[in-house]
Amino acid sequence: MNKKYRSVGRSIRKKGGVEKVKGDPVFAGDIELDNPLVLKVKRSAYAHALIRNINTEEALKIDGVKGVFTSKDIPGVNLLGIINRDQPLLAEERVRSLADGIALVAAETEEAAQLGIDAIHVEYEKLPAVFNPVEALKDGAPKIHAKGNVLFTRAVLKGNADDGFEKAYSIIEKEYTTSAIEHNYMEPDAGAGFVDEDGCLVIYASTQNPHYDHKELVSLFALEDENVRIIQAATGGGFGSKLDLNVQGFIGLALLHLKVPVRYVYSREEAYLATAKRHPFTIKIKTATDRDGRLIATRVRAVCNTGAYGSYGIAVASRSAVHGTGPYSVENVDIEVKCVYTNQTYCGAMRGFGAPQMALAHESQMDLHAEVLGIDPLAIRLLNGLEVGSLSGTGQLLTSSVGFKDCLHAIAPYYEEAKKSWVSTCSTPFKRRGVGLGAMWYGIGNTGVQNPSTARVTMEPDGTVTVFTGCAELGQGSTTVLCQIVAEILGISPDEISMVVGDTRYTTNAGATSASRQTYISGNAVKDAAESLANVLLTEAVNRLQVPKNTLVLENGEVTTTGNPDCGIGIAVLAGRIHDKGGVLSWQGYFDPETVPLDPKTGAGVPYATYAFACQMAMVEVDTLTGEVTVEKVVAAHDVGRAIHPENVVGQICGGVAMGVGFALMEKFEQGKTESMKDYHIPTASDVPEVVAIIVESEEPTGPFGAKGVGEPALIPTAPAVINGISSALNYRIYDLPASLERVLEASIQAGHFGVQEE
Amino acid sequence: MNQNTVQIEFTINGKKVTTNIPSHVTALHVIREIMGLKGSKEGCGIGECGACTIQVDDKAVNSCLMLGAQLHNRDVMTIEGLSKEKKLHPLQEKFIENHAVQCGFCTPGLLMSTHAFLKENENPDRQEITRAIAGNLCRCTGYQQIITSIEAALQDESCRGGE
Repeated sequence: MNKKYRSVGRSIRKKGGVEKVKGDPVFAGDIELDNPLVLKVKRSAYAHALIRNINTEEALKIDGVKGVFTSKDIPGVNLLGIINRDQPLLAEERVRSLADGIALVAAETEEAAQLGIDAIHVEYEKLPAVFNPVEALKDGAPKIHAKGNVLFTRAVLKGNADDGFEKAYSIIEKEYTTSAIEHNYMEPDAGAGFVDEDGCLVIYASTQNPHYDHKELVSLFALEDENVRIIQAATGGGFGSKLDLNVQGFIGLALLHLKVPVRYVYSREEAYLATAKRHPFTIKIKTATDRDGRLIATRVRAVCNTGAYGSYGIAVASRSAVHGTGPYSVENVDIEVKCVYTNQTYCGAMRGFGAPQMALAHESQMDLHAEVLGIDPLAIRLLNGLEVGSLSGTGQLLTSSVGFKDCLHAIAPYYEEAKKSWVSTCSTPFKRRGVGLGAMWYGIGNTGVQNPSTARVTMEPDGTVTVFTGCAELGQGSTTVLCQIVAEILGISPDEISMVVGDTRYTTNAGATSASRQTYISGNAVKDAAESLANVLLTEAVNRLQVPKNTLVLENGEVTTTGNPDCGIGIAVLAGRIHDKGGVLSWQGYFDPETVPLDPKTGAGVPYATYAFACQMAMVEVDTLTGEVTVEKVVAAHDVGRAIHPENVVGQICGGVAMGVGFALMEKFEQGKTESMKDYHIPTASDVPEVVAIIVESEEPTGPFGAKGVGEPALIPTAPAVINGISSALNYRIYDLPASLERVLEASIQAGHFGVQEE
Repeated sequence: MNQNTVQIEFTINGKKVTTNIPSHVTALHVIREIMGLKGSKEGCGIGECGACTIQVDDKAVNSCLMLGAQLHNRDVMTIEGLSKEKKLHPLQEKFIENHAVQCGFCTPGLLMSTHAFLKENENPDRQEITRAIAGNLCRCTGYQQIITSIEAALQDESCRGGE
């Protein structure tokens, strides 16, 4: 399928791979600076309180303490937030969660910093706190922000749901809950910085969005753009939480006042306490089908707990509402998701922005309907699945690249085989086996808002190429993929291209590495720039080769004519000639997906320019005496448009499945209880299934070489597939995540499986 | 603050060193902060994640759980000692070829565990490999491409027997 391409579609070696296997990449905690001071934040003693006084005098007297700063030392706007600004860097008159910072200490050693923290005396006036979002919505609940406890409500309305339920043959109404989840990237948040000779604050950060960090620091400290430089250090995973300003603001504050090198590396415990979590959801869902199993109405009322601050809460509420129908065509839609403030640690972006939570609900409902109607779970998905020509819940007409049914068809043979040879065979009398499906759709990019990317591609007069992109590489492989796209356009090897990534002095804004958007959006931006450069090279070649421009192609470092490979001219020669004439060899690229903002009342609009689709099948075995669930195998079919780098796509799918298994079976962050990695278990190599990754390529016409995205889609179907698998094994359904040992054991007991099976 | 120091003598990546260290610091601290070898990482500080894995007398250990003083008279290997001069170890090659590396933070520890494991077990099956790396957490890859890399390395004579 990819034969016509030389770089695209090939699993080339990852840029920076050699350095990574040698342990060479410099993460923010590894950066060598001249005797950097250590930073530490004094955090709130209460989940909700007014601050009456902060006394830092004692702390300042401690040997080795070089500075203590509070909100009074922040000269600009002391408010953070990429969508809504509601989070102070350091608290002013009120603390809203245990994560809230009150003062920053800079000291010569860790020990001195800790003594400094302990010596800061804060007088509080304790306020009643609320942790449950349903409680927070009630009259008389403690008010966390001046505007009230509702951060945002997103409604998606289409047709008339009441009419749909009226006509329905089968109606199923259930409630699902999910837990707060810790991202648990392996590298705890870190940053370091110094002030350069021009007085610029130079900050190395573990980040998903260096240009956003830059903007926030400029605003916090009332500086000019050129006085802040963010350099993305090697970043050890992010999964959404490194979209927030975790340590960058503290480093900036210390640099601003002390002007000496500083470093802040969170311990795992501090990363747990102080950084965002996945929003826990409570989802009430009512769905209806006709006699044949066709979905005719969906009503969802969901509440998600954003904790003390918004972070990406608005995006989570909005995206989850849009995705509430699942990848199905539903005539009558009535969805409302409320995002509510509480006094928990704030929740933000995490791989999927609410779509994984919603997928548990819509996919469980599909299986429940199938069961009631006596239809196979795969058949009911095929019957209702989105296709070209379908209208989404927001009224968007899907015109191309809807590979959902291709994913279902790809799964089908594995599914039929699993039903035959897996489910029916039982290894011991205490175990039961099941197979479950999970499906999803996922809009690429931010929801109904502009989210452009820019990039620059530059050729030197000697023909060497450099790509400048603000796109943060987190390990997922964006740098490699962007390089492949440029290599393809310019007809050179990816090895010949230098990549300058995530340095606000040299790169322009690519937006966040989130929302599975970088391959599609930054991919198009680098493609745009590379095409402009290719165009001047081709124009220049016309003169030399004396043939029409439309017969020229760039390949193997030359411009040649189609059909006559012997007649060619090297790009270095062309670059030199263009340069000598004063021509332009450095081009800026831009791409912003076409969206239409969602109507605030009805949610109507075009939230995304394109969607990824997927279906996963999980084969599970349940120990009916212990509740232990083994996920034996997951078959994962993903429509990615086009895989620019197939093995990177497989890597995303395997990683997503692993995180999905954690979400399904073991992960739950409990504030006050989950303190360190001894309290929070993510899947080990022994916990993950074998993954059969199937790449479906339903080309997206607006994507770079047809590509869409896969980072978040990889995770979304896994938990529902596992939960449906457990239900298939036990004939008993679990509605709450995680399906922990206790919950599965309880299900086993309720279903009458606790004991030796009589065969 | 305890400023007692202790002198230790050990071999690190084939080089003999003698140094004074604070008596209370971990082996990881000695390696990162005193030896300046930053390839070993601290992911949790309590022995849960394996990012700090090094080899001490050919055994993989969590260096965050070991006192620096315990390195005395030991033979220590870190990720920096795996490739010889400019040549990658075949295990490293396999990790690259099979796309086992994403963010790279867990990679040094994983390579140390795997390298030590293959010295003890020259012909492990997939399940044994899985168990051997179960103490090294990775949040990016889902482990599959890592396990495949290790299987590929088993086909390569030079990866076995503790080369």
